[in-house]
Amino acid sequence: MLWYIGKRLLQSVLTLFIIITIVFSLLRLMPEEGYLGAAAEKMSPEQQEVYLTNLGLRDPLIVQLGNFYSDLLMGDLGTSVTYRTDVAVTTIISEKIIYSLLFGLGAVALSLIVGVPLGILMAHMKGRWLDRLGTGYIVFVVAVPAAVYYIFIQMYVTDILNLPMLFDEYNSASWILPLTSMALAPTASYAMWMRRYMVDELNKDYIKLARAKGVKEKTLMFKHVMRNAFIPMAQYLPATILFTITGSIYIESLYSIPGMGGLLVDVIQRQDNSVVQGLVLIFSSLGIIGLFLGDLAMAIVDPRIKLGKGGSVR
Amino acid sequence: MVDSNGKSRILSIQNIIIKFKLRGQVLTAIRDISLDLYKGESLAIVGESGSGKSVLVKSIMGLLDKNGFIDQGEILYKDYDLAKFSTEKDWLKIRGKEIAMVTQDPMTSLNPLKTVGKQIEECVVLHQGLKGKSAYDQTLKLLTDVGIHDVEKRYKQYPHEFSGGMRQRIVIAIAIACNPKILICDEPTTALDVTIQAQILQLLKNLQEKYGLTTIYITHDLGVVAKVADRIAVMYAGEIIEVGKTHEVFFDGKHPYTWALLSSLPQLGAKGEELYSIKGTPPNLFKEIKGDAFAPRNPFALNIDFVERPPFFKVTDTHFAKTWLLHSDAPKVEPPLSLQEFFEEGRRYAHD
Repeated sequence: MLWYIGKRLLQSVLTLFIIITIVFSLLRLMPEEGYLGAAAEKMSPEQQEVYLTNLGLRDPLIVQLGNFYSDLLMGDLGTSVTYRTDVAVTTIISEKIIYSLLFGLGAVALSLIVGVPLGILMAHMKGRWLDRLGTGYIVFVVAVPAAVYYIFIQMYVTDILNLPMLFDEYNSASWILPLTSMALAPTASYAMWMRRYMVDELNKDYIKLARAKGVKEKTLMFKHVMRNAFIPMAQYLPATILFTITGSIYIESLYSIPGMGGLLVDVIQRQDNSVVQGLVLIFSSLGIIGLFLGDLAMAIVDPRIKLGKGGSVR
Repeated sequence: MVDSNGKSRILSIQNIIIKFKLRGQVLTAIRDISLDLYKGESLAIVGESGSGKSVLVKSIMGLLDKNGFIDQGEILYKDYDLAKFSTEKDWLKIRGKEIAMVTQDPMTSLNPLKTVGKQIEECVVLHQGLKGKSAYDQTLKLLTDVGIHDVEKRYKQYPHEFSGGMRQRIVIAIAIACNPKILICDEPTTALDVTIQAQILQLLKNLQEKYGLTTIYITHDLGVVAKVADRIAVMYAGEIIEVGKTHEVFFDGKHPYTWALLSSLPQLGAKGEELYSIKGTPPNLFKEIKGDAFAPRNPFALNIDFVERPPFFKVTDTHFAKTWLLHSDAPKVEPPLSLQEFFEEGRRYAHD
């Protein structure tokens, strides 16, 4: 088990290194105005050249990369040029990430708490009213564009339940709607997959044998089927959690939440290369951590994986 | 329940008819079967795929698919009529506790996420009323009984750490752990290779003796039947067309379908000739079958076979066959030549 974790950890670090290096190199190909900011127009080409040389941008790529990594290890991602001039990238991101993190984790937790049991119940009562109701909900959420029901929720539910329309971090009631809106889609997908995996498992031979040995239907569901059905879910779970952390552009702009949702698009448009670099670094690390945790979760729930010493890990 | 010939019946199936609803149509899978199971015997139910063997035994355990139902008849066990059982609570009195099952494919029959020990222990706890240490000890004993070594280590292992034959031993241990009276083995060796097959059959035989079990084997492998069965019931198209002691059916079969089945044994084929196969296809079970279901494929069919369903004719006290050929007015028909030799040889062998 430790061997497996160590191996996967090493793989993750290597992947991260490759991604960062590629992104860093690609960003060198971007127009250089991004490094000059508003001052660009006032400078003569010679001044610009001196400025860029001072920034280290005329050094060979490998030296630049080395400098970048040594700064990175000190926790320094550089400073923003155009987005918020001279503010450290780490400061910009950390101010925003906290909101996205809270909403993202909250939404995933909510959708897990509702979605997984819903899926289990639907599988248990396959073909009956609850199953149909749940299927109706899933079809609705999948078929109707999120933007449509997001707006409807903001317009009408705020009235009906008398909740604030905009986000205010000191008013806990204003958290409710953005959270539930964000949770709607993942709830549907957890319920759908859980139901599907449960039904799959229920048709397997080992369930027939368990039933034949006199195990009650309820015990069967919770002791035999559930864990097996959860394995494929466990794999995707961390990845979805991290996906939501990157922020929902739509929800954040609807409720004016100062999260990360639009940040990446924003800084790319403004050619603020150091912030782009920092964000890509964070997003890709989150993605890789997600995959790593997913594999780890699988290994914990599925005993068949622990043996994967030699490399034939599925 | 004691039979006329002095043996006690443990299970009695009477005039059972089982139907399935399928896409708005009704399929009759079991067409009026009566069968007695005697205490301590081992009965083999043979027949081709789709003849209803599995459906028959599933109905005994209440494991029919949801669209299947018992249309008529009785399944008498102890004081119960199993055909009338409908709730899970009813069936929990039977499943495992009274009747247990060894399933066909050991590769998929075990829960991949539970240690084999726990899976056996679940039965021990459920049916033997043991807990904690004593349940654990009993589980180890069962593992030893099914021929597994190093039991304490094996207890903690998962199914994927076992080979196919070993897994089938675990499946058997699970069945035995329930402490049943009747053990149903649904093609217990189909998924195993030949050398392992023999071991598993021997194991089942030993356990049957040790635990005083009554066993039902479902199989289409006549080799298995010859090794383990005391009696054979031959099924075709949802009915039992011949039943008798193993040597009676094997060496003095009366129904043309039994002949055809035996003729398709590869051992009976002559070298260089094509192996015998039964021509035609089994009847459509969605339609009502008139007369003898095997008649259209039967080279010995009489006119009456197409009109009226034959009743059981008695051959000996223990041997019955459903064919008009046994009627006193029927013309004398001999089984195919190659089979006659086989019968002769078998009878001689049986005498020695």
